[in-house]
Amino acid sequence: MSDTKYLFKRDQIWWVKVAVPRPLRDSLGCDLRRSLQTRDLKTAQTARQAVVEEFRSKIRQAREQRAAATACSTSVDPPPGTGYEVVTRKDFSDVTFLLEVSAPMLARAAQPGQFVIVISHQRGERVPLTIADFDRVAGTITLVIQAVGKSTREMQQRCQAGSRLYSVAGPMGFPSHLDTKKVVCVGGGLGVAPIFPQLRAFKQSGAYVIGVVGFRNRQLIFWEDRFRQYCDELIICTDDGSVGIKGRVTLGVEAALEKHPDVDRVVAIGPPIMMKACAETTRPYKVETIVSMNPIVVDGTGMCGGCRVIVGDETKFACVDGPEFDGHKVDFDDLMNRLGRFKQQESQAMDAWKTAAGAK
Amino acid sequence: MGKKTIRSIPQERTSIPTQDPAVRVGNFDEVTLGYREVDALNESERCLVCPNPECVPACPVNIDIPGFITRIAAKDFRGAYDILTDSTLLPAICGRVCPQEDQCEGVCPVGDKLKPVAIGRLERWVGDTAIHEHWDNTPYIEPNGLRVGIIGSGPAGMACAADMAKAGCDVTIYEALHKAGGVLRYGITEFRLPNGVLDAELENLTRLGVRIECNMLAGRLFTVEQMLDELGFDAVFIGTGAGYPSFMGIGGESLNGVLSANELLTRCNLMGATEFPKYDTPLGLGKRVAVIGSGNTAMDALRVSLRAGAEQVYCIYRRTREESPAREEEIEHAEEEGIQFEWLTLPVEILDDGENNVRAMRCVRMELGEPDDSGRRRPIPIEGSDFEFAIDTVVYAIGTNANPIIGQTSKIELNKWGYIQTDEHFATSMAGVYAGGDIVTGAATVILAMGTGREAARSMKAYLGIRDSETVYQAPQTGSDSKLFGIGLEERTFTRVRLG
Repeated sequence: MSDTKYLFKRDQIWWVKVAVPRPLRDSLGCDLRRSLQTRDLKTAQTARQAVVEEFRSKIRQAREQRAAATACSTSVDPPPGTGYEVVTRKDFSDVTFLLEVSAPMLARAAQPGQFVIVISHQRGERVPLTIADFDRVAGTITLVIQAVGKSTREMQQRCQAGSRLYSVAGPMGFPSHLDTKKVVCVGGGLGVAPIFPQLRAFKQSGAYVIGVVGFRNRQLIFWEDRFRQYCDELIICTDDGSVGIKGRVTLGVEAALEKHPDVDRVVAIGPPIMMKACAETTRPYKVETIVSMNPIVVDGTGMCGGCRVIVGDETKFACVDGPEFDGHKVDFDDLMNRLGRFKQQESQAMDAWKTAAGAK
Repeated sequence: MGKKTIRSIPQERTSIPTQDPAVRVGNFDEVTLGYREVDALNESERCLVCPNPECVPACPVNIDIPGFITRIAAKDFRGAYDILTDSTLLPAICGRVCPQEDQCEGVCPVGDKLKPVAIGRLERWVGDTAIHEHWDNTPYIEPNGLRVGIIGSGPAGMACAADMAKAGCDVTIYEALHKAGGVLRYGITEFRLPNGVLDAELENLTRLGVRIECNMLAGRLFTVEQMLDELGFDAVFIGTGAGYPSFMGIGGESLNGVLSANELLTRCNLMGATEFPKYDTPLGLGKRVAVIGSGNTAMDALRVSLRAGAEQVYCIYRRTREESPAREEEIEHAEEEGIQFEWLTLPVEILDDGENNVRAMRCVRMELGEPDDSGRRRPIPIEGSDFEFAIDTVVYAIGTNANPIIGQTSKIELNKWGYIQTDEHFATSMAGVYAGGDIVTGAATVILAMGTGREAARSMKAYLGIRDSETVYQAPQTGSDSKLFGIGLEERTFTRVRLG
């Protein structure tokens, strides 16, 4: 009989009133109300339904708008006024790109052989990247990144000149030792860029420097002029033989060692399989061989132990004891196994990211 | 009211509401929900207000415990907060994570006959109330132009920073990670110490004028020597902690699925790995997790594993529950949640499944022999008691060592274990450089780290020639006339004065 749900009476006229959920009251007010312009309860009851429906759809709309707005406001970009600005970006190929990041203190402290940890956005992971160059005057560091996993591919997409990285911390690890007279510097794959500052430092410290760099083909070669500037000899190896020696960098290393029996050190940076091959190549020559480890790292400050590597019969943390170790003692198989630790999660992240990107 | 006696006080310790174990294993919300006002008032009645309180010297930062409890009983909650903040910067944190049963509550005379006064819970209640009510005790600070650099934003660094800032110094904290708080951020779990509480306490620090700079790896970015010579700091405090995790050196440790508790907790607490793939950091935890060790970190690792989706979680410890270094409360909570404890068990080898993943762990049973140097009975393996334990994840929580970065990069004197060598006033071998917290004492508690940070601040003040005085806070203004001799009370024109 007296079903007055959503109804109330003012000056004998029936009105409809629907309460607004608390989070939406900023935009809609405490409730939505409208006069039914009738004094008769029965008429009001029948007219009520349509009005209530209309109000409900209004609330639904407001709720969706709000959800969209919060999705925007919870952007993962670094909060305004923070972060590290990307000054320049250069693409070497469709997977390799260079970022020059403004970080004056880092640029001042960085030494060849050290690495930084980069977080691209607020929900990002900590990605260790070897410092490929630094400009102490301009206050920038250079990172050369291969977009292989989710985080690096996302960086490839996000990091344009003028954008900001959420965090860049470092420089981590021990700098390279430069006490050598004749050195072979080997860089392959993602190791080409990080070998450059070392090679330059060796040259500047007065050593005779032989550079060996490997690329897949002529199109992917970068920084050749920079290498030439600081190398006494430069050997380029390409997989297809389009430039220099056809084949792996180990052929170049062998050639260099044959030609110069007085080489007292080989430094190799690149994928684990390449560093392993280099270490095996130099072993018969009994030349000290230094490799730069790139295990999975979380904090990079000696706290998590995720980066532990086996060197000789000791367990070392690459982040605080390395990243450079004696290549003849490193257990590369262990390193490669441990690098595959999150294989499943990596593909899961990649799939989720692709789906999300597709949805956009 | 007559004098309170052990007979006249409430006999039962006021219980603290907790989340139901069945519910809480499915979330990361706080386990203990904290006192309500009535609980706090009731519990405050239980303090006998001893004339020579034993609890005060038992507290590493010497909080005036009877003082603040009396203020609670008198319903002067703000007064209680003022007393607490005279000694501790972080009441909401210390009330949660201090091992009170070994400190203040351990010596409480009420505890001789009944359960001791729940000092920690009361402290937490006052701290939480302060956060809720937005109280802050920012004293009038007269800048003295001296600059203090602090390495590490953990509890030791925070305590030292607060004291130096209150003394008028321009304080900068350098943190290597991208978020401040040190072990309070990456180590202690969300359900024991919510990040909101930590943020609120850090906020108090910035209100004192302390600058916190993240992503700054002191030691490598600039050395301690450079801080003094080039960056213009008059004094430096090192609080880099003991975060370098230990492993046992048994076979199979480099298999995938073996990690340190620090790694597990950092991934979860700092990097949001429990929400992977929304957050980019993966966790990669299996279904059957064994945590080796039985300290507070082990308890955190166990309970995080359970919440992160592990089905069976085991605690492997070579001694018994009695010798376990974890807080009693933590073990109880873990047991309630369904953690399975394997006491008197020592892992001897981790076995692989042929694809470099963990398949099982081989363990031996132990028995307790004669007491060793630490006074605990030495565990001895029982011969022929080997057995295999089917698991897919092993977490090491058997302790940590000194962080090596400062030692590697400066000429500061270390002891033979790599910790920083200091005198009894926490001065290091370098003039103007002080150290505190785990990097000096070895792995210890939050409150102990804070205690050393404050002690170091005291000697730092002596070195800098700053008078060390008690802080006086502005009295709350209640009168309608907010002027005194024509000067607005808002104008904090009075300076710190020496009391007593």
